[in-house]
Amino acid sequence: MSGGPGDLAADPGSDPDLRAAEYVLGTLDPGERAAMVHALATDADAAGRVRAWERRLSPLLAAIPPVVPPSRVRAALLRAVPAGSGGSPDPLAHLRRQVRRWRIATAGAGLLAAGLAVFVAFGLRPEPEGGRYLAVVQGGGALPALIVRVDTRTGTAQVRPVGAEAPAGRSLELWYVGAAGPKPLGLVGAGASRVSLPQDATPDGVLAVSVEPPGGSPSGQPTGPVVYTGKLIAE
Amino acid sequence: MAGPIFAAGGTPDRVQPGLPGADDARLRRLLFEIGRGEAAALAELYDLTSPKLFGVILRIQRDRSLAEDILQDAYLRIWRAAGSYDPEAGRPLAWLCTIARNRAIDGLRRKGAVEVQGPVRDDGEDWVARLMDPHDDAAAFLDRDALAACLGRLEPAHRDCVVLAYCEGQSREELAQRYERPVNTIKTWLHRALASLKTCLEAVS
Repeated sequence: MSGGPGDLAADPGSDPDLRAAEYVLGTLDPGERAAMVHALATDADAAGRVRAWERRLSPLLAAIPPVVPPSRVRAALLRAVPAGSGGSPDPLAHLRRQVRRWRIATAGAGLLAAGLAVFVAFGLRPEPEGGRYLAVVQGGGALPALIVRVDTRTGTAQVRPVGAEAPAGRSLELWYVGAAGPKPLGLVGAGASRVSLPQDATPDGVLAVSVEPPGGSPSGQPTGPVVYTGKLIAE
Repeated sequence: MAGPIFAAGGTPDRVQPGLPGADDARLRRLLFEIGRGEAAALAELYDLTSPKLFGVILRIQRDRSLAEDILQDAYLRIWRAAGSYDPEAGRPLAWLCTIARNRAIDGLRRKGAVEVQGPVRDDGEDWVARLMDPHDDAAAFLDRDALAACLGRLEPAHRDCVVLAYCEGQSREELAQRYERPVNTIKTWLHRALASLKTCLEAVS
């Protein structure tokens, strides 16, 4: 019953499905786990495999008895979130609705589930005299994917990829999401590039990156999963 | 030989009632409201679900004070991610537990060094029997019967490795120590067990 020669997948790196399974199980070593977290931000297939394993194993959670936590945790939690919410419209809610619509339009594609998508919640500030903004565009990992510098006076943006990776055979496309919906800005290449913003771009827009067929979305609207998002902050 | 984890019947003294009021529809509504930035909805969600999430975290992170930090961190993550919750991704309580579990595992596997946490638990943890007990969160997790049946078909030691890793966050090294086998053997056990589970679950569903 011990592992002998000829075992299936003795090499943990060989089978992506077993790697996803071990990620969910929690038995990858720290290096493998970090690599997996990184891959999940860019690889829709890997994210799908992880979700499938979460679904398969989650019934085991029913076996774990509840334990009431001490009340100090609740107090600390509520201190950490902004109180008195519900008044001003949440700019992120708009993005989320947008992203939901995209998701509905892209059946089967799903990087945005189970906490894989982390929205970057920078506070909005009034436009300074310079009109220059910065967006750190992030996925689920700790590393930024893109750094975008925007100059609303000239209507241009400079895009610098940091950790963005396109799944094999597909392109990453950058979008500006304003009140009128997503507008394509261009493909995310390996090097820094300069793109033009839509004329009606305002500082409260959101930048998003979606996975598209090679060469970009054929329809002018995002067709694949949104893997990165970021908001503009005054520089 | 049946492994100890699968052997006994119910363990009613350990089984807590489910989470009263934490039905799917209510949790989905709360997640929607949290997605709009409503702190009151987060408080309500916390009151309904924190015992379950704390239970999940404490099984993995046995240091209570670290477990409390992870619990708070998990709800802050839920606060940020609620807007992206998609009912198709799974039932809400399973989604919440997955976030808590991931935070707890991240905490254990973070430091680069492999840590072995204290002495391993005794063999009396009757996970699969509890899985079969219909009183505990029966409604919140689908497909329990299928998973229990497929776990039951695995080699007992392989199955116990899977269950101990999932429920208690045991690493390959801890399992190697527990079963007195090389780490590579544990890896092979896990891979065999996971591959068989997948095949079995696909056949059942």
